[in-house]
Amino acid sequence: MRRLPFSILAALIAASIYAGGAPEAARPQGDTLRFALSGNPDTLDPQATQGTLTFQVLRSVYDTLVEPDHDGRIVPALAESWQVSTDNLSWTFQLRRGVSFHNGDRLTAADVAATFARLLDPGLGSPHAKEFASLREIRTPDEYTVVFELDHPYSPLLSSLATGWSAILPRSLIAAQHDFAAHPVGTGPFRFEQWIRDNRIALLRNPDYWIPAVPIVERVHFNIITEVAVQVQGVLTGDLHIIDMVGPTDIARIERDPRTRLDTGLSSLVMVLAINTRRDPLSDLRLRRAINHAVDKQSILDVAYAGGKVIGTFMDYGDPYYVDLADLYPYNPQRARRLVAEAGAAMRTLDLVLPQNYEPHVRAGEMYQQMLAEVGFDVRIRLVDWSTWLADVYAGGNFDLTVIGHTGKLDPDGRLSMFESDNNYVGWTDPHAAEMIRAARRVAGFEERRALYRDVLQLLAEQVPFVFVGSNYRYIAMRENVEGFHMDAKLDTYDLRRVRLR
Amino acid sequence: MAIIELLLRRTARLLLTVLLITTIVFVTVRVIPGDPALTIAGMEATEQQVSAIRARLGTDQPLGVQYVSWLRASLRFDFGTSYFSNERVIDLILQRFPLTAMLALLSFALALTLAIPIGVVAAVKRWTLWDGLGLLFAQVGMAIPGFWLAIMLLLLFSVQLGWLPLFGADTPLHWVLPVIALATERAAVLVRFVRSSMTEELDKEYVLAAEAKGFPVWRVVLRHALRNALLPVITVAGIQFGYLLGGAVIIEQVFSLPGLGRLFLSAIHGRDFPLIQGGVVFIAVVFSVINFLADVLYAVINPRIRVG
Repeated sequence: MRRLPFSILAALIAASIYAGGAPEAARPQGDTLRFALSGNPDTLDPQATQGTLTFQVLRSVYDTLVEPDHDGRIVPALAESWQVSTDNLSWTFQLRRGVSFHNGDRLTAADVAATFARLLDPGLGSPHAKEFASLREIRTPDEYTVVFELDHPYSPLLSSLATGWSAILPRSLIAAQHDFAAHPVGTGPFRFEQWIRDNRIALLRNPDYWIPAVPIVERVHFNIITEVAVQVQGVLTGDLHIIDMVGPTDIARIERDPRTRLDTGLSSLVMVLAINTRRDPLSDLRLRRAINHAVDKQSILDVAYAGGKVIGTFMDYGDPYYVDLADLYPYNPQRARRLVAEAGAAMRTLDLVLPQNYEPHVRAGEMYQQMLAEVGFDVRIRLVDWSTWLADVYAGGNFDLTVIGHTGKLDPDGRLSMFESDNNYVGWTDPHAAEMIRAARRVAGFEERRALYRDVLQLLAEQVPFVFVGSNYRYIAMRENVEGFHMDAKLDTYDLRRVRLR
Repeated sequence: MAIIELLLRRTARLLLTVLLITTIVFVTVRVIPGDPALTIAGMEATEQQVSAIRARLGTDQPLGVQYVSWLRASLRFDFGTSYFSNERVIDLILQRFPLTAMLALLSFALALTLAIPIGVVAAVKRWTLWDGLGLLFAQVGMAIPGFWLAIMLLLLFSVQLGWLPLFGADTPLHWVLPVIALATERAAVLVRFVRSSMTEELDKEYVLAAEAKGFPVWRVVLRHALRNALLPVITVAGIQFGYLLGGAVIIEQVFSLPGLGRLFLSAIHGRDFPLIQGGVVFIAVVFSVINFLADVLYAVINPRIRVG
């Protein structure tokens, strides 16, 4: 009894050492690509989420009928070819033969039909169902032909089919109510092996992939690492091969180190200062223009977003529908002050809401506050977490100004459909713009659609429901021995099929 | 008999506590802004989609109805499924608990291993350099936030020196830094406690008498004073263990460890109500069990309580 405290202590220590001392394989060796994923995906069910993280993983597990190539053009994938009827109402896809799922099933038209039936099942409540609202039925005239019959013409369909949530699932597992959220099974270049929540997702090479000699690496480990600093250190030490979180202060270090290199490109994000046009005094166009002239866009991009390009429109620079409106509202504080005086509105303190978990937006918000103060606006910052931002700001419209980045879309309709009515967070619409947005959905020709969207974009820029600041540079750091890595810029996903470790 | 009575009393108290906490948390997480349906649907969702998701989750029901159905289910130990991953809450928690428990346990062991000798030496050698060093450790250890220490350790040992791994929990080496980071603050608190408790004991007459009889000081300390001095420490240590579970949340974040902390943190960010509720119940139960064990231990060591 006398030594009880010590024996308990000793037992505790012994127990902990015993339980802790069961090491698995230490650092994975050999042909394993170690990729840093910046968070734990909510789910691995491609139809059940909007989360980018999910699609960054599933891009390697699933295939889609069509996919974007390196220039963003839509090219064949599981479908070898397709035709559109002259009335734009029926889309016929010829499936590739000899493709099999990871469970051994052979890919046929029935799988495609079952996949979209699942996506449209109200019981699933897929956030992507609306993209297929025009779909009347899916016909499968033979084993390798799928026909999408539409109620009304819908040009964005092809782009929808190229995005991650249109991944093709095996019919047999859909029928068996398989748990796709935890165990994805597709036709993709890698088979799902294991998901240790908040730690890593492991994929194994699919030797029967439909592109010969692809993929190349044996395994992919998505290591889930939320801290930027740890990701950066990981690539510098070689614990990681590719990371996609690089802070502005780390750029020089990664460039200087001979073992790492930086892949830089303009992102497809459009960074905005969004203005609630429903509320006084910002319902006055003159004041919105004043705000636009008050903002030094290049400084915002350089300081808050680690560099970028001023674009002045709601379409990213690399998009075929891009219109150059960068000079519409040049930085001009004097003009801004004149516009404020002209409006003569009763000013009040403006509520600038910032999503605190996105540091660059917070930095940008602080700069906006100063720039606006210089031309006579009194702005107070309110920091909120992401859930609050979505509910209170985005859905609730409880803000005057907010800072956010709008992600890229394969089809312009994805960005612009929100302006069909004023039921969007900035409360802006325009009858003419709404008509053109609807028209562009029905016509198929690129030039025709571009003319329509050009007018919409012009109106949107002139009316200033947003200050379109520009797109930031995206930095991906990788070890110098990584070859063949490609990012699908518009989708924010990664094509790892041709990655090789030298 | 005393232990059974204690057990019953504690269970009753635990149930009351859990009911109270879950009610408070239930109301709080639903009153603050944030809607899980919006988080699931994302930025481009339509009204109809969001309300469809709300209907599926049941968050469109009145608060009272939601509460009663949650309470009813949890009485059957059914804590529902996560809004985001659709996995059972209980499974998610049990998957993650071993890591957090291990982290807390190892840190606790380290904290005690540091605190008891340092505290005893400081008390015995009161007002000497040794005492000063011990108090300095306590002061500095309490002043340094655990997450800051964690980042500094990571920078020094993993980045600069490259001796220890950067992230994950695959090998014993992965545990070294998180455990040190988590244990330091607790050790600091315990040092002060052990020192004052020991000091009090050393001033008692039996010690003075023993010393007067010519017994060596260390023998008196180790044989008699230490055991008495550690009695109050046990109760405090139980509470400190609770702090460790809380501190583990941040440490797991820094070291990318897949434990309970990160699970609950992302649940709160996403307003994953069932997971938040289940987590609160789980932590409350663990906390109560540990305090109960501390009391039992106290009773076993202290004969006065056992008899009474």
